[in-house]
Amino acid sequence: MIIENVMAAFAEITTIKTLLLMLVGVAGGLIAGAIPGFTIAMAVVLTLPFTFGMPPAQGLATMVSVLVGGLSGGLMAGILTGIPGTPSSVATTFDGFPMARRGQPGLALGIGVWSSFCGGIISAILLVTLSPQLARVGLEFNPWDYFMLVVFALTITASLSGRHLIKGLIAGVVGLLVRTVGEDEAVGMARFDFGSEALLSGFDFIAVLIGLFAFSQLLRDVRDPVAARKSLTEKGTVQVRIEHRAAIREVVKRWTIVLRSSLIGVFTGILPGAGGSIANILAYDQAKKASRHPEEFGTGIPDGIIAPESSNNAVEGGALITLMALGIPGDVTAAVMLGALLIHDVIPSPTFIAEEPVLAYSIFISFFLATFMMLGLQSFMLRIFVLVTKVRMYMLAAIILGFCGIGVFAINNVESDLWTLLWFGILGFIMRQLGFPLAPMILGVVLGNIAELNLARAMAITTDISPFFTRPWSLFFLIIAVFSAIFPIYQAQMGKRKWTLFYMPAACFAVSIPLFMMGGIPRPIIAAIVIATGAYILWRRARNGWRLDAEPGQNYAEGG
Amino acid sequence: MGRLNRDAVIAIVLLMACGILFWSTFSIRVPDYGQLKPSTWPRVILAALSFLSVLYLVQSIRRGVADGTAETGDKSDDEPGPAPGLVGWLVYWRNPIWCFGLFFVYLATLPLLGSLIGGLAFVFTLMGVMGGWAPRNMALHALLALITVGGMWSIFTFGLGVLLPPGEIFSVY
Repeated sequence: MIIENVMAAFAEITTIKTLLLMLVGVAGGLIAGAIPGFTIAMAVVLTLPFTFGMPPAQGLATMVSVLVGGLSGGLMAGILTGIPGTPSSVATTFDGFPMARRGQPGLALGIGVWSSFCGGIISAILLVTLSPQLARVGLEFNPWDYFMLVVFALTITASLSGRHLIKGLIAGVVGLLVRTVGEDEAVGMARFDFGSEALLSGFDFIAVLIGLFAFSQLLRDVRDPVAARKSLTEKGTVQVRIEHRAAIREVVKRWTIVLRSSLIGVFTGILPGAGGSIANILAYDQAKKASRHPEEFGTGIPDGIIAPESSNNAVEGGALITLMALGIPGDVTAAVMLGALLIHDVIPSPTFIAEEPVLAYSIFISFFLATFMMLGLQSFMLRIFVLVTKVRMYMLAAIILGFCGIGVFAINNVESDLWTLLWFGILGFIMRQLGFPLAPMILGVVLGNIAELNLARAMAITTDISPFFTRPWSLFFLIIAVFSAIFPIYQAQMGKRKWTLFYMPAACFAVSIPLFMMGGIPRPIIAAIVIATGAYILWRRARNGWRLDAEPGQNYAEGG
Repeated sequence: MGRLNRDAVIAIVLLMACGILFWSTFSIRVPDYGQLKPSTWPRVILAALSFLSVLYLVQSIRRGVADGTAETGDKSDDEPGPAPGLVGWLVYWRNPIWCFGLFFVYLATLPLLGSLIGGLAFVFTLMGVMGGWAPRNMALHALLALITVGGMWSIFTFGLGVLLPPGEIFSVY
C-alpha cells in the first residue's frame, strides 16, 4: 500500500510541468534567500497566489521548492558579502566570510552548499519517518489537547521574542482576535462586522499574512530614502567557481558535525515558533563547544560553515513534520504552507497522512527532489546573484508591492482582500516600529480558528473545564506553555537570582507528571529519566552550595 | 502626573480598544443551539488582551518617561530619528507614506483603471517618487514596470486563468 502511494505520488511530481515549476521555484528561492532583507517566508508567501490554479500536489511542490531554495540562498550573500541573506544564515557569515576574504570563496561556498544538501536530505529522511509516528501520537489528542497545543505554540513563539515577551504575547492574542472577525465557524453568527459586508466575510488570512509580513517588511527596507537607492549589497561581489570536490572532502571529514547540526535543526523546526534563525546559531554554538579548537571559530574554518548550513536546511523538515502530523505550523513559513494546503481544501491533521497519502508523499518527494535541484542550480544561480546585487532596493520594493496588488486579488477574486492587504500592511508596519514581533501575531491568525473550533468541540462534549488540566496531553502542553512563558525572565535573571537555580529542576519534575499519567511503558520511562535529570541538576547545584556564580550563562551568539 | 512614554500610551489605546470590542460582544446574536456561545471566544481573547495590556501599562509606567520614546522597534540605536515637528516627521517617513498613499490610490482607482493599467501606473510612480525623476531613471522605471507588471498580469490572466479587474475606462481584457 505504501509503495503504491509512493509510486502514485512520484508520478504526480515527476511530470515535466511540475519538475519545471520546481526548478523555477528552487531558482527563485535561491535568489530570494540571497537578497538581504528578503526573507524565505516572504518568498513563499509571494509564491502562493501563483499556485491557486494548480493541482494541490503541483502547487505544494512548487512552494516546497521555493522553501528549499530559500534556505540555501542565504549562504551566497553571507559568504560573498558578509551580509546574511536571511536570518537563518547569520552564523554562516561568522566563518564563511573570513574564508572568502582569505581567498577561498569557492571552497566556502562549496562547503555551504554541500552542508545544506546533507542537512536537507537528513531532515527529509526524518520527515518521512517521523511524520507518520507523530501523527499516530496526534491521534491520541482530543479537543482539550489541541486547544492547549495552540496555547503552547503561541506562548513559545512569544517567549522567543526575548525581552519583548509581553509584546509578543499581545501580538499573538491580537492575531487570535483578528480571526474572530466575521461569521464564526461553529454556529455562523456575525461578530465584529459593524454592519460592513466586507467585515462580515472576515479577513482572508493569506491577505493578512502578506500584508503583515511582506508589505510591512518592504516598507521597512525602503524607510531610509538614501539606503533605498543603494544596490542590495554595496560590497562588490566577485564571480567565483564552487569547488565541489574539495568541499565534499571537507564535509565528509566532519560528518559528526553535519549529523549533530541537522538533528538540532530538525528538533528546532519541530518546536512551534522556533525556526532557522535560532537553529543556525544554536548549531554553531554547539559545534564550537564540541570542538578541540574553539578559538579557531570565527577565523574562517569549515566547521563554522558546516554547522549553521546543515542545521538551517534541516529546520523546515522539522517544521513540516509538526505541520503534516498535527496540523500545527512550526513557524511563519510553515504557516504559509498551511495556508496553501487549506486553499487546496486539504486540512492537515493526524489523519492527514492516512487519508491523503498521495498528497503527503508528494510533499515528501518534492522535498527530496528540491534538495537535489538546489545542489545542481547553486552554481548557475551564483551568476544571477551577482546581477541581482546590482538591483536597487526601492525598485524591488515597488515591483513586489505591484505584485501583491495583483496576486492577492487572485485569492478569492474580491477587491476587499486588497484592502485587507493595505490595512494589515499598515498595521504590521506600525507594530514593527513599535517593537511588536509579528511572528506570534501571524501564528495567532493561523491558529485562531483551530483553537476556537477545538474549544467548541470540547464544550460540546462537556461544559466541565477540568479536562484542560487533568488530561495528560493537555496538562503536558499547559506545563510547557507556562515554563516557556517564564523562560525569557529566567534567561534574564540567570546568575542573578536564587530562584533561577530551581527553574530547570522544577520544569523537569512538572513535565514528568503528565508523562506518568499517559501510561504504557515508554512514556513513564521517559518521565523517570526526566525526573532523574532534574534531580541531578538539583544535586549538582546543592553540591556547589547554591552559588549563583557556579552556573555559567548561556551565550549562543559568540561567533563573528 | 508626568508625561507618559510611548509604550504607556499604546497600552492605554489597547485597553480602550478592548473595552469597545468587549462592549460590542454584547450585540453578537446567541443562537439556541451549540454549547459555546459565539461571543465566548472573543471575550476570552479580549480578557487575555486586557490583562496583558494592564501588565504592559504597569511595565511602561515603571520604566517611566526617562527613555522618552520607550522601546524601539526596528530602528537601531545609532539611526537618527525624525526631526522635531510635523514636517520633520513627514520627511522621515516619506517613503512608507508614499507607498501606502499610492497603494491606496491604486485600490481606489482599481474599478476605473483595472489591474494592468493601475498596476503599471502604481509601480512606475512609486519607483519615480523613491528613485527620482531623471530621464534615464524614468526610462528604466517604465521598462521595469512594463516587464514586471505586464508579465505578472499575463501569467495570471493567460497562464492561471484568473480574471483580474479590467477597469471601466481601459477595458483591457
